[in-house]
Amino acid sequence: MKKYELMAIIVNNVDEKVAQDVVKSSILNRVAEFGGKTTFEDFWGARGFAYIIHGQKWGYYFVCQFEMEGVNITKLERELNIDNKIVRFLITSVEAKSPAPEKYEALKARSEAAKKKKEVSEQQSPESEISAEKEIPPRDAVDKKFDQIMDDASAEL
Amino acid sequence: MTTIKRKKFICTFCKGDVHQIDYKDAQLLSQFVTYYRSIQNRFHTGVCLKHQKSLAVAIKRARTMGLLPFVRHEK
Repeated sequence: MKKYELMAIIVNNVDEKVAQDVVKSSILNRVAEFGGKTTFEDFWGARGFAYIIHGQKWGYYFVCQFEMEGVNITKLERELNIDNKIVRFLITSVEAKSPAPEKYEALKARSEAAKKKKEVSEQQSPESEISAEKEIPPRDAVDKKFDQIMDDASAEL
Repeated sequence: MTTIKRKKFICTFCKGDVHQIDYKDAQLLSQFVTYYRSIQNRFHTGVCLKHQKSLAVAIKRARTMGLLPFVRHEK
């Protein structure tokens, strides 16, 4: 028995509650049907796509992990490909060393914190560069110095 | 002859002891793509060969699931 992770996008023409029912009926029940044992499940909810998929801009995301025989994965993929309610799905193998799966809320909070940190560092860096530059002396002072040098007969120019 | 001392780069994933890079973390992956959203070279990312390969796989997976864009769209 190997560990797998499944991510699926569910169509956006249904409510969120109906989408959760779709997850149960078309994904989790099928995993159980092929002798799989779900160890983790997480419904992300509505999320925008990075680009337009089948003319749609958003969909419901769902992630789960399960243990299953490798032979049955192709059968599960065939069933999910036929399903109309699933836009796209991805099954990946999970390595034994990999850490415990993370909930979407934790992942979102972490990414937002990183984003804020980056913005703050970007705001601070240009100011510090300006302050680090040498101060330009006023024009009069430069002129005076130039006159002094020109008047000085001993200086070798 | 003078020898040039180069700064030693340490892979960011080796520091954090990451084994398999997570394709779901779009914010992390977006740091390793260029302005036009193509995968950045190892020279620019400063990631070791082992992690660069798994990083490329993770970015490709994120793209197919609509978490990351393939190309930049000008508004």
